Amino acid sequence: MIVNFKRDVISGKIPVTIITGFLGSGKTTLIRQLLVHPSMNKVAVVINEIGEIGIDQDLVTLSSENISLLANGCICCSVRTDMQETLRDLFTRRTIGDIFDFDRIIIETTGLADPAPILQTLVSDTLLEAQFRFDGLVTLVDAVNLPDQLENLKEPEKQLAIADRIFVTKADLIDTNQMDQLVHLIRNVNPSSPIQKILHGNIDPNELMGIGLTSSKASQKTLNFLGENTGQTGEKYMGDFARRHSSNIQTETLRFKTPFTWQAFSSALDLLTTLRGVDLLRVKGIINVENQPIVVQGVQHIFHPPVTLDRWPSEDHESRIVFITRNIPKEVLKSLFDVVTQVVKPAELN
Amino acid sequence: MQSPNPLGKADQTLSRNMTLLAHHELGGFGGLGEGISIQITADGRRILWVAHESAPKNFSGIDVTDPKNPNLIIQTDLPHMQVRSNSLDVFGNILAVAYQTQVVGLKPAGVDLFDISIPEQPKLLSHFDCSGPHSRGVHALWFVDGKYIHMSSGSEDFEPTHPLDDQFYRILDVSDPTQPFEAGRWWYPGTRKGDISPPPPRMPKLDTGYRVHNTNVFPREPNRAYVGYIDGGAFVLNIEDMKNIKVISHWNHSPPLNGFIHTVLPLFDRGLWIVSDECVMDDGLDWPKLVWVVDARNEENPVSIGTFPMPNPEVFTKRGGRFGAHNLHENLPIPGSFYSDTIIIGTFFNGGVRVFDTTNPYRVEEIAYYVPGAPKLSPAGAIQINDVFVDENAIVYAIDRFGGGVYILEMNI
Repeated sequence: MIVNFKRDVISGKIPVTIITGFLGSGKTTLIRQLLVHPSMNKVAVVINEIGEIGIDQDLVTLSSENISLLANGCICCSVRTDMQETLRDLFTRRTIGDIFDFDRIIIETTGLADPAPILQTLVSDTLLEAQFRFDGLVTLVDAVNLPDQLENLKEPEKQLAIADRIFVTKADLIDTNQMDQLVHLIRNVNPSSPIQKILHGNIDPNELMGIGLTSSKASQKTLNFLGENTGQTGEKYMGDFARRHSSNIQTETLRFKTPFTWQAFSSALDLLTTLRGVDLLRVKGIINVENQPIVVQGVQHIFHPPVTLDRWPSEDHESRIVFITRNIPKEVLKSLFDVVTQVVKPAELN
Repeated sequence: MQSPNPLGKADQTLSRNMTLLAHHELGGFGGLGEGISIQITADGRRILWVAHESAPKNFSGIDVTDPKNPNLIIQTDLPHMQVRSNSLDVFGNILAVAYQTQVVGLKPAGVDLFDISIPEQPKLLSHFDCSGPHSRGVHALWFVDGKYIHMSSGSEDFEPTHPLDDQFYRILDVSDPTQPFEAGRWWYPGTRKGDISPPPPRMPKLDTGYRVHNTNVFPREPNRAYVGYIDGGAFVLNIEDMKNIKVISHWNHSPPLNGFIHTVLPLFDRGLWIVSDECVMDDGLDWPKLVWVVDARNEENPVSIGTFPMPNPEVFTKRGGRFGAHNLHENLPIPGSFYSDTIIIGTFFNGGVRVFDTTNPYRVEEIAYYVPGAPKLSPAGAIQINDVFVDENAIVYAIDRFGGGVYILEMNI
């Protein structure tokens, strides 16, 4: 039988990893190590200020005032005016051959930055959206100072809550008991993303890659992305962690047996983002839209284009969505979807 | 002089969304032409057959059952140094090989048919002679149905009005592969001595001849031949009556451009043709050499609606050797071949092998490429990817014109 091959709508896009972490969390140390790591060939790293990194001796060429090539093939680019312009400039220079054809981008955010606007840039700029895909958000936390930071500041909590990977730095300065408490603290804010210790920025760059949805072809990796195969904590990402939280950030999982119509699902989500977008820290899920599996993900009011998978990744064909929110009770979320679905006609069952 | 641009460094391998699985230099004879196809044997092996670009080697067979571990199983020799095979196709267990001589009047100039039931021991079934006082034999052939070979060929009885116009469209009936015979022919009016039509005007800047190159006929539309006629442009012919072939339509971009239309690939369900040029000059001297999108919903009135995006010519024309369009994966209607009416894979000499999404025909998008670093001792000083075959698992087999052999690639698209 002849199969008419169609393009995978996301696999060919250049993945973008965002590294965030509060001041003093070790981002600069990590970036310095990454920039000279042998596995960073063809990776473009966007940083805030090249002078802070201290790698002048490793710079091979300076193709423009803010872009440098390193001996390992890594491209280092400092932000000039804003992230949107910087990413557009990188892509354009790559297209005309002004710089090597990098196949991945890692973005370092400033310690105080909210990463959500960067995601918004990736989704809303049509040039960038066509060429790049958000791969994952990596958050560094300072083992010594995190407890105080969570107590006194808002940014670290949010950075932690929406992280896909959490790296604990300076873990050598605390003992095992303190580490257990730290993990408990992290789990109160982010119940499921893998936690890993790093020392002095030593990391295999592959740990920062392949985090997000990499293909519209369903596979085991799709389940990993949905958090249904996480082995590190022994917990299921889709579990109900609400009662464990002491902060006002909650992770809720909703399941729906009845397939949605796209109109019903998107209307409910639109309503939710309109009313409570600022409190909708992260949404990730697989939706049964008239029996088609569609993956959705978003941060606050920014949603990536939905991806229709070629098939269901497992026998489980129910819709399931994970919400990381600030003070939106599970019952409210569930009621909202139920009510909107009743207003918009539900899809027929099989 | 090479470009200061980083992509201009010919020793540098460039890639996007393509991963090298294996590379085979074919025992030091890695200069390959534009014949590449696959055979799935009775015992389940996959044999990639490739034609060599020039003597002394004729064709090679590579076991690619495991594409990460290709194994050269057969490599044959030509009878002398003034003949090249250049083109081949496979249908079932029959291999058809084209022979073209360097000058007219030499032999062998024609087509060999081999039984390759045992791939390690090709057995000659027949030779169809196309030699003649004005013929160099066969440049390219198309054999996808087991019945007909469509080809670019000279003939003993064909005296062209211009020596560059010696190869025209011929159809061989090979239903009995031991006794092939000519079933039909067509040539550009005015290119044969004695024609009523006057000889066509030569291209003003670069005369590469009114010759046929690719002649594609698909079983789903057996009455249509899609013919690249080099400087003569693109033709679609009605071959229902092979003894009385008629022109359906003709499209050409030259002049003002520099001729050499090579392949006309129809995307039937979309009413499109993808038309490729061939670059034949080093260092960009015949630039632009492009891949064209032609709206042929009305096949009698084809209209060009765009070209494929190309890497920066400022950089690549200085990278060494040729840079520009050439062969496409032609959706061969044979077992083991990749088929897509949106994804097109093409070869661009020093621009490597490149993959395009034509979903929006007005805005074709490049989605992957692989440009190997210069092969050792390459006379061009750069890779010169010449032809490509893609299997149904989206494994890409790209071949170099000089010495590089076969590059086996995986697409992440």
